[in-house]
Amino acid sequence: MLGFGAVLLAGAAGGCGLLDRGPDEPPPPDPLLPLADEAGRLAVSYRLAATDFPDRAATLTPIAEAHDAHAKELARIMATAAPSPAGSASAGAETGTVEDRIEALRVAEKAGYQAAIQACLAAPAHRAALVGSIAAARATHLEALK
Amino acid sequence: MTGELPAALAAEYAAIFAYGPIGVRLTGAEQDAARAAEAAHRSLRDALVLTLNGTGLPPAAPAYRLPEPVVDRAAALRVAIAVEEKAGAVWRAALTATVGAQRRQALDALTGCAVRATRWRRFAKVDPITVTFPGKIPS
Repeated sequence: MLGFGAVLLAGAAGGCGLLDRGPDEPPPPDPLLPLADEAGRLAVSYRLAATDFPDRAATLTPIAEAHDAHAKELARIMATAAPSPAGSASAGAETGTVEDRIEALRVAEKAGYQAAIQACLAAPAHRAALVGSIAAARATHLEALK
Repeated sequence: MTGELPAALAAEYAAIFAYGPIGVRLTGAEQDAARAAEAAHRSLRDALVLTLNGTGLPPAAPAYRLPEPVVDRAAALRVAIAVEEKAGAVWRAALTATVGAQRRQALDALTGCAVRATRWRRFAKVDPITVTFPGKIPS
């Protein structure tokens, strides 16, 4: 299944007249695409874990909703279509004990936090606040998983 | 640089002031968290003073208005959450006015405020303990 970023890339390449590039030269991907794609994947993983472990849903569901909101806001500033949760689902089968799943979420969230830091530092001024806020949110998710 | 970093310095002065009355209403792990938070804000203040050295630092005020009187533990936790959210908002605004090392400083500060606010919400049993966009002022 294609991730959100791959879907957007395909959509952008399919458009015509973007920066007057030739058909063999797609426009460069928006640097925030990986962050949006990752947000979509994280949302799916948290939602699946919340479904599988209802006693953790009170913690996991708000985080899933936050990642969804991040993906939508990133899509807005990239002027692309909002991601669909189904289109972001590339997590595959997620199994294991609740401890295993929480640890997997923690590892994925930590990687996402580091990626968001780098994206914030590289972002132009008009995007820095949003991306920085997403980085900070991911740090709070790690705190919430403790 | 515009006024974002001086505004952050003013917010740090206010946060340091607030943790005085907050700390005396808390005990145990909560009081330890208040001490750690105050120390973190002092470090942020000191780093900002160095960053802004020679650019006309805003002076610390003798006192700052708190969101509400800190009369008991519950009020202390509410004020602690508010202090971190307000400081986080100022640091978030600083992201747009900075690059390089100064932006990293602002991002680390925003993140620290957001994580501390999360911890205070956990102590206060606020549900959920996280917010979607830390530092963003609700419209």
